[in-house]
Amino acid sequence: MGFDAFFGNATTVRHLREGIRAGRIPPALILAGPKGSGKYTLALMLAQAINCLRQPESDGLPDFCGECKNCLRIAEAQPLETRVEEAVTAREDMRDADKKETRILIQTHPDILIVPPDPPQLLIKMGQVRRVIHSMYRFPSDARHAIYIFTSTAFMKEAANSLLKILEEPPAFASIFLLAENTGELLPTIRSRSVVYRLGALPTASLEALLSQRHPEWKPPQRALVARLAEGAVGRALGFDLPGYAASRQDALIMIKNALTEPDHSVLFRMTETYRAGADGQQKTSALLRALSSLLEDLMLLQSGAASLVRNIDMLPELTRLSTAISLGWIESAARGLNQVEAGMRRNLLRSLSLDAFATELASS
Amino acid sequence: MSMPGVGTEQERPLAQGATMEISVSRQDLLRELTATQSVVERKTTIPILSNFLLEADEDRLTIIATDLDQSIKTSCAAKVKKPGSCTIPARKLYDYIKLLPEGDISIKLMENHWVQIRSGRSNTKMVGMARANFPQVPEFPETSITRIPAASLKGMISKTIFAISNEESRYTLNGALLILKVESMAMVATDGHRLSHVEKTGETLTNVSGEKKTLIPRKALAELQSLLGSGDDAFVEFADDEHTLFFRIGRRVLTTRKLSGQFPNYEAVMPRDNTKFVVVRSQDLMGSIQRVAQFADERSGAIKMRLEQNELKISSSSTDAGESEDTIETPYNFDPIVVGFNSAYMIDFLKAVGSEGEVRLEFKDAQSAGQMRPEDPGEDYKYRYIIMPMRI
Repeated sequence: MGFDAFFGNATTVRHLREGIRAGRIPPALILAGPKGSGKYTLALMLAQAINCLRQPESDGLPDFCGECKNCLRIAEAQPLETRVEEAVTAREDMRDADKKETRILIQTHPDILIVPPDPPQLLIKMGQVRRVIHSMYRFPSDARHAIYIFTSTAFMKEAANSLLKILEEPPAFASIFLLAENTGELLPTIRSRSVVYRLGALPTASLEALLSQRHPEWKPPQRALVARLAEGAVGRALGFDLPGYAASRQDALIMIKNALTEPDHSVLFRMTETYRAGADGQQKTSALLRALSSLLEDLMLLQSGAASLVRNIDMLPELTRLSTAISLGWIESAARGLNQVEAGMRRNLLRSLSLDAFATELASS
Repeated sequence: MSMPGVGTEQERPLAQGATMEISVSRQDLLRELTATQSVVERKTTIPILSNFLLEADEDRLTIIATDLDQSIKTSCAAKVKKPGSCTIPARKLYDYIKLLPEGDISIKLMENHWVQIRSGRSNTKMVGMARANFPQVPEFPETSITRIPAASLKGMISKTIFAISNEESRYTLNGALLILKVESMAMVATDGHRLSHVEKTGETLTNVSGEKKTLIPRKALAELQSLLGSGDDAFVEFADDEHTLFFRIGRRVLTTRKLSGQFPNYEAVMPRDNTKFVVVRSQDLMGSIQRVAQFADERSGAIKMRLEQNELKISSSSTDAGESEDTIETPYNFDPIVVGFNSAYMIDFLKAVGSEGEVRLEFKDAQSAGQMRPEDPGEDYKYRYIIMPMRI
C-alpha cells in the first residue's frame, strides 16, 4: 500500500509529496482532472500520507502505511458511492422534520470530512459548507492536519460564497481539497485562493498495459477499445461499463443515422421514449450525450484523415462510411445542438422531447 | 441482516467472542441516558454517531455519546454477568427505556450486533453497529486539574451564554471565554453587538498560575449547564490538553474540541466614563421594554431610551405597528440624553438578572456603548453587560 498504487501522473504526485515533506500543505488545493482520473483516490492518499501514524517514506518522500488507525479509517471512505448510499439511507430513515435539514456528509475519520454533492439536486449546499466552517476552526482530534474534501465543484451559489469566507482566513491545521472536473465552474475568487494541480490524461498504450494486468480476462481488442474510450482516465478504464456504453452508443447512432439516411421516426421515437424523468433518466441521458459526442469527435477525426486517433475503433468501417456523407459544417452544427441539449437538461427540460427536437434538427441541417 | 426472532430465545454462541450481558435498574439507566442523549446529533448521516456506546465492566455500565465535537461519558451501577461492549441506536433506546415501567432491565449483546433488551414481560431487540466503528473518545487527563465551584460556574454560564454569536463565520465568538485566576474567575461572551462579562471573586482555584484563558464552545457550555443542573456536585474538575477541554462532574465527563483563534480584546470596549446613570427596578424595566418593543421595527427591535429630569422614557415607533411610550419615574440629575438600543438585547440581560432587585443603566452619549449592571449583585459577583447603541 502507498503511492505506488497510484497509476500515472507521477510528476504531480511527486510535487504534492514534496509539499508534505516540507510541511507545506496548502490551505486550499484544487485537484483538477476528468472523471475517473484519480482525484478522489489521490485526495485520500494525501490525507493518509499527511496523517499516517508511522510515516514511512518511499523514494525519499512521505508515504503512508495503509495499516495504522488513521490510514485505515481514512481508507474506509474509498468506496465513495457506497458511503454516499449509506448516508442517503440514513437520511431516509429520519423523521421528516430532521430529514429536510440533513445534508450528506462522510466522515470515516473524525478529522477527514468528505462533502459529496447532496442528492437529489447533486449540488453542494449551504448546510454542508456550514458544517465545514463549524468544524474547521476546532482543533483536529486524531489527525495532525484536518482535511475537508469536496468531491464536486457544483456548488449552490450561497454555499460557494460562504466557502470563500473560510478560504480568506483558513486555520493552520486544516486544508480544503476541491476535486474539479472543470475548474471553470468554481468562483474565480475561490480559484485565486487555491493551488491547482492537474491530473492529465494517460497515453492509450499505458492504459492498455494496465488493463492487461488488471483485466486479463478481457480480450485484447476489448482492452484496446476501453483504453481509447477511457480518454486517458485510469479509474474510467478500470471500471469501464462496456455493455452500458455500447447501448448508449447504439442509441446515439440511431440519431446520427436518422439524420443522414431516410428518417425512420418510429425507431427514433421508440428510442427517445426510454429517456424518462428522474435520476436514472438523467444518468442515461448524459451517457447518451457523451457517446454521441464521442462519435461526432471520431467522425471529425476521420474527415480530417486522422483515423489513428479514432476512439470507437470497433466501429471504424461504419464510421468511415458515415463520415463520407457529412461535412465539417454538419458536425459543427451537431456539436452546437448537443451543447443546447445539455444546457436544456440542466434546466430540466423534458428529456425525450429535447432528444426528438435535436434529432429532427440534425436531419434538417 | 435478519432479525433474530423476538421471543424465540435463541441463545447461539457469539462471533469473535463479542459478549455483554448486564442487568441495570431502569431508574439509573434512564437518568444516565438523559444526561448523555443531548450530545447525540439528530441530523447526522454518519450512522455510528446516532448510537450510544455501552461498556460493561466489573460492576458498572459506562455510556458514551459523541458528535465528534463533544462527548459525554457517564456510568451507573449494574450487575455485570458478562463484561463487554456494544452500540445501540441512541434515540430509539432512550425513547424505549422511557416507556418501560420501573424495575430491572437486562441488556444482552447477540450476534450481528443485535442487542436484546428485556424488562418484566417486555422483550425487544435492536440492531447496533460494530463497536470498532465508534470514534475514540479522549480520556480525562489526571494531571493539572482545576477544581471549579459548580454553583459559580453555573451562574457564570447562565449570565453569558445568550451573548455568544450564532454566526459560524465569526468562529472566535462562537464560545465564551473562561478566565481563571488564583483567587477569581470570569467569563465573557460577545457577538459584536453586545458583550456580557461576569466576574466571581473570593474563589480559591488550584493549579492556576497567573491567568488561564479558555474559549469554550457554545454547545459545550449548554451541555455543561444541563449537567450542572441535574447533579448536586460541589465542584467541576476542569483540565485541557492541546486539542480538548475536559469537564468532570461527579462520574460524568464532558469533552469538547477546542476552538482555535484569538478572542477579541474585550477589555478595550469596556466603557470607562459612562458617568450618566439611572437605577430602576428590574421588573419595571422589563415590563416597560416588553410593552414598548411590541411597536418597535420588527427587524431591528430598536427602542429609544430618553433620560430627563427624574424620568426614564422608553419609546418606539414603526410604520406598520404604531408607536408606544412608557415612563418610569426615577432619580436622574445629569444632562438629558437619548440613546437607541436593540430591545431584545436588553431583555436577554434582564432575564439573566432575574426580576428581583434593581439594575443600573450607565451612559456616556448617544454614540457610545451603554452599560447595564445589577445594582446589588451580591455574592462577590461583578456582572456587566455592554450594548452598542443604535442610530435612531
